[in-house]
Amino acid sequence: MQKYLARRAFYAVITLLGVSISIFIILRVLPGDPLVAILGVEGHARMTPADRVRIMADLGLSDPLPVQYARWLGDIATGRLGKSFFRGDTVAEQILHRGPISAEIAILSLIVSWLVGLPVGILSAFKPNSLPDGVARAMSVLFIAVPGFWLGMLIVLAMLFWFGYKAPILIVHLWQNPWENLQIVIGPGVVLGLAQGAYIARMSRSCLLEVISEDFVRTARAKGLKEGLVVMRHALPNALLPVITISGVLLGFVLGGSVAVEQAFGVPGLGRALVTAVIERDIIVVQNLVLLYAVIFVLVNVLVDLSYAWLDPRIRYS
Amino acid sequence: MTDHTSKSERPGTLDRRTFLKRAGAIGAGAVVASRLSAPGLAGAQDATFRPDPAAKKGGTLRYAVHNAPAHFDVHQSGTVANIGPQSPMYDTLLRRSPKDGQTIIPDLAQRWEISADGKKYTFYLRKGVKFHDGADFTAEDVKATYDRIRNPPKGVVIPRTPLFATVGEIVVIDPHKIEFRMTEPRPKAYMLGAFASGWNIIVRKKTLDDNQGNLRQVMNYPGTGPFRHVSRKDKEIWIMERNPDYWNKGLPSIDKLEIYHFLPFTPELGASILSGRVDYARLLDPVSWRKVKETQGMTAGVFNQSVIQAFWTNMQKNKALADPKVRRAIHLAMDRHTLVEVVKDTAPMQVGGFVYPFHEMSTPRPELEKKLGYQKDPKPAVQEAQKLMKEAGYGNGIKNLDFVVRDIPTFKLWAVAIQAMLKEHLNIECTLRVVQTSVWFDEAQAGNFDLAISAIVSTLMDPSDIFSAWYGKDGPQNYSRWTNPAFHDLASQIERETDDTRRKAMVRKAEDMLEMDPPLIPVSYEQIYDGWYNKVKGQNPSTYFGIYDVVRWDNAWLA
Repeated sequence: MQKYLARRAFYAVITLLGVSISIFIILRVLPGDPLVAILGVEGHARMTPADRVRIMADLGLSDPLPVQYARWLGDIATGRLGKSFFRGDTVAEQILHRGPISAEIAILSLIVSWLVGLPVGILSAFKPNSLPDGVARAMSVLFIAVPGFWLGMLIVLAMLFWFGYKAPILIVHLWQNPWENLQIVIGPGVVLGLAQGAYIARMSRSCLLEVISEDFVRTARAKGLKEGLVVMRHALPNALLPVITISGVLLGFVLGGSVAVEQAFGVPGLGRALVTAVIERDIIVVQNLVLLYAVIFVLVNVLVDLSYAWLDPRIRYS
Repeated sequence: MTDHTSKSERPGTLDRRTFLKRAGAIGAGAVVASRLSAPGLAGAQDATFRPDPAAKKGGTLRYAVHNAPAHFDVHQSGTVANIGPQSPMYDTLLRRSPKDGQTIIPDLAQRWEISADGKKYTFYLRKGVKFHDGADFTAEDVKATYDRIRNPPKGVVIPRTPLFATVGEIVVIDPHKIEFRMTEPRPKAYMLGAFASGWNIIVRKKTLDDNQGNLRQVMNYPGTGPFRHVSRKDKEIWIMERNPDYWNKGLPSIDKLEIYHFLPFTPELGASILSGRVDYARLLDPVSWRKVKETQGMTAGVFNQSVIQAFWTNMQKNKALADPKVRRAIHLAMDRHTLVEVVKDTAPMQVGGFVYPFHEMSTPRPELEKKLGYQKDPKPAVQEAQKLMKEAGYGNGIKNLDFVVRDIPTFKLWAVAIQAMLKEHLNIECTLRVVQTSVWFDEAQAGNFDLAISAIVSTLMDPSDIFSAWYGKDGPQNYSRWTNPAFHDLASQIERETDDTRRKAMVRKAEDMLEMDPPLIPVSYEQIYDGWYNKVKGQNPSTYFGIYDVVRWDNAWLA
């Protein structure tokens, strides 16, 4: 197990180094001048070549690329992650302030996806081709197809025009005011969760359909066990493995989807910070947030792999 | 050079001529400002903004505006993201009256004089004014501020520098008197407008010295303004409190100012005001603004913005576009009323030509709408455009134009409409290339486009400011690389002409020249939509020009 962990950790570090190099190069190769955002349209237009040289040097952008990359790695090592080009605040501060909101949204969406997806999947699997199964399948396809940011906008507008309500506009952490915090995260959490839940419903349905035709399920029924017990004790645990795998993959989609959904709900989380940084071409912020997302994605996938051994005694890592 | 002050101060020489001269010189702003405040509230020569006697004291104003500046240096900025949240902490030498947004009134300069030859501006500064850190405000601070604006240090770029190009020397006479000596005169309205610009906040000399003249990353540098910094959360909120030592006694009325960050024209901004999360919202989208208008207990305000929406024709890259007939044809092929309609749910716009359509020197709107290119019926203009294309040798149209579009909803909507108008009316075919804002400016400055659509701003409404910045031979926003020696010569005369009547005639002539040889193709002029709850009193921007001059909130109070 330790050997396996060490190997996975090594691959994870290599993957993350690859991601960091890719994002570092891409951000510097892509067209677009961060000085437009810094100096504004008029200021940028009036900037002399000498001004440009001075400002680029101040921002550390005139150094050779290997030096800039090494400096970034140094910033990662110190935990500060570098400073925004613009207002001088460190990326670590941004992540500490906004990260908990985005993390809550991700966790909430995961919970919603399981709470909605699994029961729907079970119902569909045990009453295949029935009316409830048809409805469940149609709803699943609907929630997979509908873009989260669009649904988010509809919800925001409906709440506003019907109830004159809008969620709090500043970040309120769970430990500061749980009620206000819930109002901020519940919208994006549910919207993202419903989309994931649709995937989980479809995956759990197909896995269960496969498992319930197995001999051990037939044996359980033959023993006279109630259908609920057959499902919960025998069929479901054996059908969960692929569902857990897809949940890990879906977390990646949540991270990506949260960028647009946070924007639609006006939640000041990391997704929104990333959008703003991309618009401003604040490449220090962008590269660190993308790397953070990559770290989370790699970590979740390692945890999913490790959970297999725990869930299925037949699987052993050596 | 005539020093009006020294002559007029001789005792016993107050004849009719001297009196008239003095009346004209003491507070030239008072001349510009024929709308001086009523005697009684303030002296006839002291039009300083005074508190509304009916104003209630106290309360917190929650104001929503774009509040995520790329840096904190107001002088170096050109965006509401700075002036919106930071302005309440600072004062300027002169200011536009919050009552009408136009009249120039005293601010840190209690009064001022302009020499008869227009080459010397003398400002008498208030005594007893303190910066928020407790330091005294003196003429040295004014000198340091304006020396920096007119001649920025290396690595510092200030868009307003050209406004003070003719200031040769700034001389501190004593701690409360300062002279701006000009190399040549400029129209009074132009110069006073420059001194009253909300961008030109007065900062401490020591602050500039301590930071090598660059305040981009200095969040809280002391001002003398009505509010003091309390706290700030990036891209969320900036909180300020009433400055208890403010020199203008009785102001501000409100105790606390909370400035919330929202991007302009977003449904989120509209939702914040309609749900009552904020009291006042600036830069509303039209849909939210209309809802505010319909809502009882709320007010919807509209006023002109200092921005032209236009597209540029690259004269250096494309031979056809270098021909004035082709550019005029493109200009005439635009159905501007439809272009305004196209974006009516995205951003508020109005039809205009090459000079702000609401400026007193530009062609009045009824007259403008009789001209080709501005009529509600586009047919006569299109016929003329087709004729011009034939004369220029492009009767069969032009193909493969690269049309660079800023990735902003209004520009994307317009680009499609313009593409269709060009194809339908003139058989000009273009391919749209939508790019991020930063890329757009790279491409525009590098000349990598045939057509490019965007918006540009000016500091002043005065034509000389836009003739230099937008249409000047080396103007920073002359993306077409347009030159017209006759126009540049006329613009230079307009800049120097101090007689308003003659200047107006010259501006009209300049407009005619631009119509025939367009340096850009005007699409429309922006308006600003504000919305607020009726409990917010003392603030009505309906006659303001732009969102950069009257943004201090010392005038507001809560009922």
